[in-house]
Amino acid sequence: MAHQAHSYHMVDPSPWPIFGAAAGLLTTSGLITWFHYNSSTLLTLGLLSMLLVMLQWWRDVVRESTFQGHHTPTVQKGLRYGMILFITSEAFFFLGFFWAFFHSSLVPTPELGGQWPPAGIKPLNPLEVPLLNTAILLASGVTVTWAHHSITEGNRKQAIHALTLTILLGFYFTALQAMEYYEAPFSIADSVYGSTFFVATGFHGLHVIIGSSFLSVCLLRLIKFHFTSNHHFGFEAAAWYWHFVDVIWLFLYMTIYWWGS
Amino acid sequence: QGLKPIVSTESPALIFGTTTKLASDLPATDSFLGKNKVPELQKLFQKADGLPVHLKGGVPDKLLYRTTMALTIGGTIYCLVALYMASQPRNQ
Repeated sequence: MAHQAHSYHMVDPSPWPIFGAAAGLLTTSGLITWFHYNSSTLLTLGLLSMLLVMLQWWRDVVRESTFQGHHTPTVQKGLRYGMILFITSEAFFFLGFFWAFFHSSLVPTPELGGQWPPAGIKPLNPLEVPLLNTAILLASGVTVTWAHHSITEGNRKQAIHALTLTILLGFYFTALQAMEYYEAPFSIADSVYGSTFFVATGFHGLHVIIGSSFLSVCLLRLIKFHFTSNHHFGFEAAAWYWHFVDVIWLFLYMTIYWWGS
Repeated sequence: QGLKPIVSTESPALIFGTTTKLASDLPATDSFLGKNKVPELQKLFQKADGLPVHLKGGVPDKLLYRTTMALTIGGTIYCLVALYMASQPRNQ
């Protein structure tokens, strides 16, 4: 049987891309039927199938790399480019929400009382829980870097400890934010202040949850000996994503929480 | 299927030469959180059985695949029906 004479990965035929597209269709039309016809069947189907596709697709990537050895340095380079480009696209996504915030807050309309924060809005004190959250995410950036160094040095136990700590810090952040959301004296419906605050911080929170999930999968793989000291790109991708989430928070904190209060 | 099982206690030769070393260069801190099962899994997923990677794990793979297919294809049909009905004019 002839073997390939190149270092790229020609993947096996896979059903996940088209099933993933179908899941997207179900999720979007599910949102429509939920909003307009009060039926959540399609939405549930959509989210469930999306979850199943993600699990199986990424399971297959692990099989192709760790178990079948297809991730040559060439392939890994492509994956690095891919992750960088994806994170860049996410940066642009958040840029839009920051633009919306500055559009409304730099020139507050008469309806807001010509001021920012708008009349009647009591913003959160940036030196209380938001400051703690900043410290938590910064610390988690340190622990994920510690985990990375432990992996490259071949220290399994320390790597597991550091990565676990990172994930716990992420959960702590999420729990504190959830509490803040519950206790906040303003809601998403409270003028454009509420809209910009909750949409920007809300999408950030979603990304923290995504990042924590990615790191959790890495922890599982780390425990199962999938990573070697010089080949652990899955972990690096998760760490890049996590640093990105941290940076977004820093911008949120400086602009919406601090300058905007 | 007439394939000789590869019985070996060494790490099996990978089909594609890569610079990936096994986790054996990580000092085995005894059984801290489980043994290294990667070599067995490498053997399993490199079996020349002609199965694509998404079904190569056996029966659990097939079950998950069929469930996903049922949900997505069934859901798509349901979705098209729902959208067709939603596009019908409603008389108040």
